[in-house]
Amino acid sequence: MPANKKYLTPSFSQRFAKITAAILGGLMVAIMFHMALASWFNHVAVIITSTFSAFILWAVLMVLAFLGKNGWKVWGMYLLASLVLFVIFYFGNQTNPLV
Amino acid sequence: MGNRIYNILFHTHTVSGIVISVALYVIFFTGSFSFFRDEIANWQRGHSVSQEDALPSSMDGHLNDLSKEYNLYGRDVELRHYYNERSISVNLGASKDSLASEEEKTPVFFYLDPEAKTKTNNYASNYHLGEFLYRLHFLDQIPYPYGRYLAGLVAFFFLFAIITGILVHWNKIVSNFYVFRPWAKIKAMWTDAHTALGVIGFPFQFVYAVTGAFFLLKGILMLPLVAGLYDGDQNQLFEDLEYNHPVYEFQNEKLDQTINLDQYIAEMKEEWGDFRVTETHIFNYGDQNMHAAISGYLGYDTKLNGLGYRIYKIADGSIEQEKVPITQTSYLDGVKNMMFRLHFGDYAGYGLRVISFILGLVSCFVILSGIMIWLVARDKKNIPEKRRKFNQQVANWYMAICLALLPVTALEFIIVKFAPTVNMGFLYQTYFPIWLVASVFFILKKDIAFTNKWTLISGGILGLLVPIANGITTGNWMWIAYQNGYQHILLVDLLWLVLGIASLWIAIFKLRTERAELTPTKG
Repeated sequence: MPANKKYLTPSFSQRFAKITAAILGGLMVAIMFHMALASWFNHVAVIITSTFSAFILWAVLMVLAFLGKNGWKVWGMYLLASLVLFVIFYFGNQTNPLV
Repeated sequence: MGNRIYNILFHTHTVSGIVISVALYVIFFTGSFSFFRDEIANWQRGHSVSQEDALPSSMDGHLNDLSKEYNLYGRDVELRHYYNERSISVNLGASKDSLASEEEKTPVFFYLDPEAKTKTNNYASNYHLGEFLYRLHFLDQIPYPYGRYLAGLVAFFFLFAIITGILVHWNKIVSNFYVFRPWAKIKAMWTDAHTALGVIGFPFQFVYAVTGAFFLLKGILMLPLVAGLYDGDQNQLFEDLEYNHPVYEFQNEKLDQTINLDQYIAEMKEEWGDFRVTETHIFNYGDQNMHAAISGYLGYDTKLNGLGYRIYKIADGSIEQEKVPITQTSYLDGVKNMMFRLHFGDYAGYGLRVISFILGLVSCFVILSGIMIWLVARDKKNIPEKRRKFNQQVANWYMAICLALLPVTALEFIIVKFAPTVNMGFLYQTYFPIWLVASVFFILKKDIAFTNKWTLISGGILGLLVPIANGITTGNWMWIAYQNGYQHILLVDLLWLVLGIASLWIAIFKLRTERAELTPTKG
């Protein structure tokens, strides 16, 4: 039995939104999360941890994106999360600049 | 888990799995052989390697040999052991002496075989079957960077596929673990095999998916980090992650002293015990400011992450800088090292690598059973005939391309034994056309049961011929290799002996499936 179609996303724009949010949005949030952490905490430890944790987080966010009801809302949430993490990173980077 | 979530996860698992299946099969199949990359190299060349995981014999001897042929003054001289092959790599930097000739100002790279005292000047002629399979394992034969990024994305989508897969199966992990219904409908059999082996292999596959994705996709991770955190200063990132060699200025004054690396190495071994030197890097050879960096690690029996190095100033023999491997390992070094150790599985002797090899082939089986589930689940009366034929063709192509790898790889092992010279071009020109012809043949037969049976039989027979081909051409029959302690040669022969017997056993005794069950039902 293939998956029951009645639970799957029918429209093209919704599919497009979910797939792009999963791959690109997920990557963006995963990277911003680690940058925000690195700007406030021991950056070497965070960066070297990200070599595995960023990929795991990215994959988890990718799964979550497909579970949302509306793909554009998922995009909205991922963009908002990235923005919040960017603000945290920005102030962290201003407070403890690396270069 | 609600029906909605279950079906979404199921669908994403199916789609991501079927899209990456062929590439992933190639990666796992050749990757399994890559555990024995160095053994295959030595098997192909009939070499036995005396000292593993370290630079062999006397460093001063190597330097002495090199200085006869090259004017080393003012150059950086690097000797490196990376693979357990007989050759080591030699890197001579451009001379910094302003009076040096044009020739001395060109950097030189070659592989040096310290036993035969021969040089191999370039990568392509040092190429061997182990290297070929290792490279195919991250699709490196597709020009850089496309092949590696493709393989990286496959690894990443594989991570996605195993996460969704384990979630779909979550509620049945325990109850279905012992369920195997080989006499039930064929769909049930494929499903049981796919889920049981998928669950067993999950931790193994998870580690390989994550580390593999990192090796190949680290670019898209590091790029934003460099731009954001380091303001574009990549060098500073490398500095922080301790990837950079220090820099020592060339003073342009000759040093009247001979270099005595062996003595330094002996000193380090005395202090650090089971220390294996993998790299010696000499800065400014023969200059007042000559330094020697000696790096390596403790044997894995002693310590898993025992990385260390010491830099000596040659003029006075003082220690300029060091990292002591016997003290606490930093978190940075631990992660950097473990990403590789976990992927290569080389830290616990042959046992771990043999288990990893088997789990790699089990993963191949999980991929194939996934393709078969995909096919038979869509072979329903309510699905249009045309659509079903198309699905059948897709599965037919996939199975032909994947399964052909076994006999083709076995045949290549035989070919390299009879070929007068084996280099990069030769391997490309034999392996790929044979694989193409075999795939096309099985595709045209349009019969998955036939493909399965005959790839196993031909792969089995060719596999059994591998040790025989080796015995005929080199005289290193298995018992002779055993007597002489040629571990690497014996291992590859045994590997094919067991693989050959297993393939034939499956093909003859275990494939009782009626062919009718694998062709689309009519109506």
